[in-house]
Amino acid sequence: MSSASRNRILLAAQANKPAETPLPTVPDFGGEATAERFTAVLSSIGGTVVWLDGLGQLGSTLQQLFPEARNTASPLFDATVPIHADTPTHVLAEIDLAVLTGEIGVAENGAIWLPEANMLHRALPTITQHLALVLDHRRIVATMHQAYAQLPSTGSYGKFVAGPSKTADIEQSLVIGAHGARSLVVLLY
Amino acid sequence: MNHAIRADKFLLDADRTTWHDETLWFVREKRDRAVYAVPEFQELRELASQIKDHTLSRLDLYLQEFEAAAQANGVHVHWAADAAEHNAIILDLIRQQGATRIVKSKSMLTEECHLNPYLIQHGIEVVDTDLGERIIQFREEAPSHIVLPAIHLKKEDVGDTFHLHLGTEKGESDPQLLTEAARQHLRAKFLAGQVAISGVNFAVAETGGVVVCTNEGNADLGVNLAAVHIACMGIEKLIPRLTDLGVFTRLLARSATGQPVTTYTSHFTKPAAGKEMHIVIVDNGRTQQLGRPDFRASLKCIRCGACMNTCPVYRRSGGHSYDFTVPGPIGAILSPNIDMKKHRSLPFASTLCGSCTDVCPVKIDIHTQLYKWRQVLGEAGEIPASKKWSMKFMGRLLASARVYGLSGQFARQALRLLPHGLTHAASFNAWAVARELPEPPKQSFREWYQQQPKSVPQPQTPQVTV
Ligand code: SF4
Repeated sequence: MSSASRNRILLAAQANKPAETPLPTVPDFGGEATAERFTAVLSSIGGTVVWLDGLGQLGSTLQQLFPEARNTASPLFDATVPIHADTPTHVLAEIDLAVLTGEIGVAENGAIWLPEANMLHRALPTITQHLALVLDHRRIVATMHQAYAQLPSTGSYGKFVAGPSKTADIEQSLVIGAHGARSLVVLLY
Repeated sequence: MNHAIRADKFLLDADRTTWHDETLWFVREKRDRAVYAVPEFQELRELASQIKDHTLSRLDLYLQEFEAAAQANGVHVHWAADAAEHNAIILDLIRQQGATRIVKSKSMLTEECHLNPYLIQHGIEVVDTDLGERIIQFREEAPSHIVLPAIHLKKEDVGDTFHLHLGTEKGESDPQLLTEAARQHLRAKFLAGQVAISGVNFAVAETGGVVVCTNEGNADLGVNLAAVHIACMGIEKLIPRLTDLGVFTRLLARSATGQPVTTYTSHFTKPAAGKEMHIVIVDNGRTQQLGRPDFRASLKCIRCGACMNTCPVYRRSGGHSYDFTVPGPIGAILSPNIDMKKHRSLPFASTLCGSCTDVCPVKIDIHTQLYKWRQVLGEAGEIPASKKWSMKFMGRLLASARVYGLSGQFARQALRLLPHGLTHAASFNAWAVARELPEPPKQSFREWYQQQPKSVPQPQTPQVTV
């Protein structure tokens, strides 16, 4: 019975825990919060950074980067497939390119915070073949400490995305494109 | 069968052993490069260690805080005292859905509980979706490493496996092509999965959410396509605050594979509209370990695998030689807590060189704990007779200067006179199986020292003031 186990675990944890020790405060270690560092790190882990002169350039840049993308999903322009929280799986599975807004970029590791509110559907950022994230370069912070400090909460679901899906499970050879998006382009403006 | 005997089997293939050793050392070197790039890395380790110590010192309270927050988020929380209960809860949830097809992302806890065979027995199709896990699932093997489950296999082995199960061309061993085949195969499984099971890297007491770190994105894909998400966590996965994640996400991937961070660091806090999320909180011996002051620090482990990659014994004996879900140095501490008799040889599978302790991102005193387990095992009479008697003998010998001197003389003579075949007979001298013995010196240091002319200026005795 689950509730009996609950009590047993809690009582055992209470009886066996050591004397209380303090919870440290985590300092802000500072660090370099530049687009250059972000770009260098993201490139080193398989992502690509492309500068936009302004959001107006989004369409033409995407056209150049993904000339073959047929099924696109995005709240940012007239995409070909409308996606919402109830879109059935077989429709999601056909998406070639999803273009979404990233909230915070982390220079030390190339990660971008992507909250559920920006995803259209929770599965979209991983089920799409290619993912492009639009990011305001002024939202780049130095470290994960600074990123978490800026998050009011992590909402219902959200994730840091750092590069394309990859694996090294076969003899430690790095292969880009495991299950999730095969490429990640960050469009900085 | 003890660790040494299983390791012997692994060592039969000398080339493969060397390759295994080098592959893991390559990962260790990547870890070093990633770590040196972070100036405050040592401070982060200290912070991580203190946060975990603190969490363990209030574990019962944080568990309740976490449960309340998760429930407020609309998440169902279950408690399992042991592996059997964990498995039963999950089967029950699956049956409530009327589901038969499960996708799983990597979770060492479900391995520890032997969930897969249990579900399969009950007619459920379970598909491990992490590529390494899927490979070993096809081969009906256990993972040999907690982060790199198929690290013991060569690409030709994977090629053979995929030829058999996925119909790839015979002899195909290109990692890119093999991964693509797995991608297509697993995509079909993701799309059809009804319930998704994931592990948990961190559980945040403050938010009631769980964090899952992967490179492949399989957890996100599985969980977000299925109607039900079941996340399984050991009670030690807790951390107090959201901001503590800043410390741990900076340490985990750098220590594990030398990456600055995993590709996906996903925060699951509330179920999507119309869907369900369940968290199963598991003890399975952990509260008992909490009650052992010498060993409780092992509960701080964040399962990065760095101690394995650096361990000279692990690298040359292979993960399967440990015969425990978590192999390597940390596994050798965790396993005797679960079954002291069965795993009594594991705390001896270490040179006590301390390399594991040096790399551990949460500063677990791994080699000290291994040394302590040896003493506990000795007191409990769990040391093999040969080891026990030879240690007693050595103890006597080293305690007496006269006996030590005599046996030294004898050994120097014997090494000179005895034939190689005898001094290297595996049954007498296991140490010399893969090594040459040193050339015996003509005299001992003591003999040499006594022969030195007394006029040689002696170094000044240092002055000690009390
Ligand atoms: S004991 Fe330390 S080094 Fe080993 S897996 Fe755990 S956290 Fe990593």
